[in-house]
Amino acid sequence: MALVTTDYWPQGDFVANSLGMPGVPRVKLPHPVAGSGVANMRSIARQVLPAIIQALAGETPNAALQDS
Amino acid sequence: MSTLLQAADEHAALEALHARGCTDGLPVIIPTAPRVSRMVLASGMDADMVLGTMGPAGGVATVQQVAVAAVMAGCLPDYMPVVIAAVKAVIDPVFDLTEMQSTTHCTAPLIIVNGPARHNCGPIASGFGALGPGFRANASIGRALRLTMINIGGARPGESDMALLGHPGKFTYCLAEDEENSPFTPLHVALGFAAEDSVVTVIGAEAPHSVIFSGNADDPLNHEHLLELLAIGLTNLATNNAILGNGAATVVLNPEHASILAGAGLDRQQVAEKLYALCVHSTAEMARLVPGFARASSSSTTRHSFQSPADILILMAGGSGIYSMVMPSWCAGAHRNSPSSVKVEADQFCELPGLSATTGKPT
Repeated sequence: MALVTTDYWPQGDFVANSLGMPGVPRVKLPHPVAGSGVANMRSIARQVLPAIIQALAGETPNAALQDS
Repeated sequence: MSTLLQAADEHAALEALHARGCTDGLPVIIPTAPRVSRMVLASGMDADMVLGTMGPAGGVATVQQVAVAAVMAGCLPDYMPVVIAAVKAVIDPVFDLTEMQSTTHCTAPLIIVNGPARHNCGPIASGFGALGPGFRANASIGRALRLTMINIGGARPGESDMALLGHPGKFTYCLAEDEENSPFTPLHVALGFAAEDSVVTVIGAEAPHSVIFSGNADDPLNHEHLLELLAIGLTNLATNNAILGNGAATVVLNPEHASILAGAGLDRQQVAEKLYALCVHSTAEMARLVPGFARASSSSTTRHSFQSPADILILMAGGSGIYSMVMPSWCAGAHRNSPSSVKVEADQFCELPGLSATTGKPT
């Protein structure tokens, strides 16, 4: 399962397709995350946690895209 | 296997190639079947011979597909052995091509050519302005490699090539070492090849950074000052090499600067050792400015920018004067921006005298 920020979402698609895994679960994060401060990162983590769990459980592969 | 496209004429073909993202943005020579066949013939290899795969798309690089890129780039058939060697060099796992193509860093493959191929497969310029415009072999060999990285490797800006800005060397970045005038052993000999070998060395590199130094023969510390300035340029604290503390990087000494160092009794290895010793930074300064990347250090108050002197590639090229060039690097990837060297297999080359590379007609 991959966490991918909005600006790098096309690259995630490209890599997944290139590796023959177009359906690999991905969860979308806002961009940027790095350097945005601990409080913001905790907030993002809280928002996307359900989508991550769903993706890991295989319940909604590649559909549980969280546009934060 | 290549896909044969159809177009009404060369103009339409060019626009179609642009529209498909198959170019570098500049006009290309249309890779018609006869032109590609001629380029394959020049290589002396089978068209279907597989050189390897190129990431991030994982495309299979055959001699024919490399020939397509060489035609598009404007190469003469004479250049094919060098182009093939450059492609082999970036395909070598040590080069980390997939990661290199995908990084947000601006890195581009710098092609350094040593040995007789500089003359036989060119001429590939090594003097004044060698990294600038005006030299067909330099321009088209580097461009051919880039076109393979686009069309076989699948590099597309903002989609798979995530360089935030890139640099002009991503169009072409190729030069030869001026072995004849260098006071040092050639780069490829230092890397373990025989002097009579032709070798292509490729290393991921930032754009050239100029280092100014006006020598003073009356100053006994003349060479030391030059080395200090080269070190400042090579791994200033804003470079990946300084912050990540590894990777390989390039120093291109102009003849005047090379002469100063050689005149002080230094050989290539000693220059590298001195630069290695000078490329150090305060761990406290790194922690202050870039805490996210500054690795926790033990008791040491300084850290080297390279892991060994061998990580500093030194060659002599360019006109004589007060400017040398340094190219810091990305230095991430599993192999930490290692250079990759491949011997040019020119013995299989098939010379096609008196024929135009682009038309196949007698000239």
